[in-house]
Amino acid sequence: MTPLARIDGVEYSYPGAASPSLRSVDLDIEPGLTLVAGGSGGGKSTLLRLLNGLVPQFHGGRISGTATVAGLDPMRTPIPRLAGRVGLVFQDVETQSVYGTVEREVAFGLENAAMGRAEMHDRVDEALASLSISHLRSRRLATLSGGERQRVQLAAVLALRPQIVALDEPTSQLDPEGAEAVLAACRRLARDGRAIVVAEHRLESMLPAADVLLFVDGGRVAPTTREALAPTAVRHRPGAFRGSEAAWQMRAVAAGPAAPGGSAILENVNLAGAAGEVVVVVGPNGSGKTTLLRTLAGLLPALSGKVERPVGRTAFLPQNPGALLYLPTVRAEVELTLRRTGANGASAAEAAEMLAAFGLTAMAERYPRDLSSGERQRAALAATLAGGPALVLLDEPTRGMDRAARRALVAAVRSLTGKGSAVVVATHDTDLAAELADTTVALSGGTASIVETPA
Amino acid sequence: MTAVPRSDESGLAPRTWLIWSLAAMTVALSTANPVYRGLVALAALDVLLTWLRPERRLKPLAMALLFAAGFAALVNVLASHAGVHVLAHLPADWPVVGGNFTAETLAYGGAVGLGLVAALLAVAPLSLVLEPHDVVDAVPGPLDRTGIALATSLNLISGFGRTFNAVRDAQRMRGWRPRGIRSWNEVLVPVVLTSIEDSVLLAEAMEARGFGGGRRTSYAAPGWSRWDFAVVAVSLAAAALFVSLRLAGAGIDWYPYPALSVPPLNPIPVAACLALALPALARSRGAGVGL
Repeated sequence: MTPLARIDGVEYSYPGAASPSLRSVDLDIEPGLTLVAGGSGGGKSTLLRLLNGLVPQFHGGRISGTATVAGLDPMRTPIPRLAGRVGLVFQDVETQSVYGTVEREVAFGLENAAMGRAEMHDRVDEALASLSISHLRSRRLATLSGGERQRVQLAAVLALRPQIVALDEPTSQLDPEGAEAVLAACRRLARDGRAIVVAEHRLESMLPAADVLLFVDGGRVAPTTREALAPTAVRHRPGAFRGSEAAWQMRAVAAGPAAPGGSAILENVNLAGAAGEVVVVVGPNGSGKTTLLRTLAGLLPALSGKVERPVGRTAFLPQNPGALLYLPTVRAEVELTLRRTGANGASAAEAAEMLAAFGLTAMAERYPRDLSSGERQRAALAATLAGGPALVLLDEPTRGMDRAARRALVAAVRSLTGKGSAVVVATHDTDLAAELADTTVALSGGTASIVETPA
Repeated sequence: MTAVPRSDESGLAPRTWLIWSLAAMTVALSTANPVYRGLVALAALDVLLTWLRPERRLKPLAMALLFAAGFAALVNVLASHAGVHVLAHLPADWPVVGGNFTAETLAYGGAVGLGLVAALLAVAPLSLVLEPHDVVDAVPGPLDRTGIALATSLNLISGFGRTFNAVRDAQRMRGWRPRGIRSWNEVLVPVVLTSIEDSVLLAEAMEARGFGGGRRTSYAAPGWSRWDFAVVAVSLAAAALFVSLRLAGAGIDWYPYPALSVPPLNPIPVAACLALALPALARSRGAGVGL
């Protein structure tokens, strides 16, 4: 079979980078589903960007070797011309939207291709139908769930009828239902004869359908096997220290109108957690998990009911935690939290301990915003959890994390609970929930119910 | 195949909105008469409240209006000391602010602030009534890249607000408290950095979808109703009237110095200002309903 893309001996470095992000990459991509796995910062996103010319044309840097993608040279063919043959769906659905409504967003690429109005309309129809989202046509993007928005972005790419579609961690922000819908779309497109290249950390749903498995590490791309990528069995270990009295409580709490005049997102929520206990909150996108955490943190006043927190600091890791980082080094970020929380004197040792716990020692002196998204997530976790908080609130902490970072997170949470911290985690990550939860709470329709209480 | 949609999901064509906004802004800024400016502001507010999309929030605009009006009035009162009706006095040897505070400087500062309020209300529908794609459709074809830059900028403003709230909350949970202007660095620096990163990501996503490759077409078919023609005609007439009166020196301005006086009024400019509320009438008569 003739490959749709052929990459020979490509080596690429971003501007100012000390080491290459891609090293001696030799790769053929054929029709079907190619799954690209690997750790954060290993080069997965860079490989995808090479396919549609963003690397090196948008980002600059040094590149050597040759590549042919859908019959074109991605290093020299203008990106707008490549866009008709290679589509790329980015990780963050919010930052890649140009327009405000589904129909126009899908048509944006067609407008750029200077297509006639009637043909544009046919293509929008076709792209929406191919992903079973024709019913969303007139909706505003802001009203869609994460899974729906990701499928809209995929439709926007498919409208250009590309031969190759690359997706960069398409399910990292999605609940299980949304993730399954996107993955089903990928499988269907692969069966239609396109080359679908998906970079992912959440492998369990993708593995059975993948035709080719690649592993990217340190910029090197190599074939791998299902066995090597298969997730290890998750084993629950109940917390070693679990108090009998409630460390935090929400009693008959209503919270969070989405807009002025809107109804409350949470109604009559009654929950409690003990010191050393991990409470995991699950539920679909929009069910109120973030609202619950923000209310418990005191960032959002409860509309009614009572919220009680333990004496001591409450640590809160928001979604997109990398946004809070601004100091020159990762170490400085951790030390800032320690100073702020009154851990003077012990700060250097504690900072070193937190950095080590999250595998950040080697990058302690680096600028946090130069790190990959997964590494940045770890840096934000270290900065947030420093200082021995009494209550820890984590909002989607594994978003964009690779396995090593997840292991570090689990270890850190266990360390915190071992010291008596109460932890509440909101997550879509079912494995994380199974691994950490002493109590699992499901949010649905604005109310909370306990679904599981192991050991 | 379904029908190709018109680009006027707001009920009036996007280009009608652009013309109305530019005309209302021209009227507000071509006169220093606070009555005319106030009438333009009222007409624009009426239009905005009539057409405001339910999901859009007025609070940021209200804050901007208060700041603009207050700042303009304050600067004029502090920096200018002309006028005969003295309200208060600071020692004359104080730099810049020393001297009389007068009713005249207060009135003139208020008029300047009212002009800014009217101008801001005139352009507010571009972000609070129109969708980003409407803004792109509103500008003439050769300027479509400018339209997209404007549309994405409007998107980034709301993103900036979300990022600001998220970072402020996150820093607060790390022990940050607002203590003086410098303390806000811990919030504003990461917000600006994140906004820049988001802008780069958006630029990358746009380029990956073929933006910047040359000629573009528009998905929406232009379609004008009689209300569009009426609003455009009235808006252009109002702007033309004020510009010609200004060029002719025909007394549409007002100057409160040396002594405070009542602003002059002429029924024709008054009617022109009130006519700028026509889009609100168009809505009440059914334009846009069911679109």
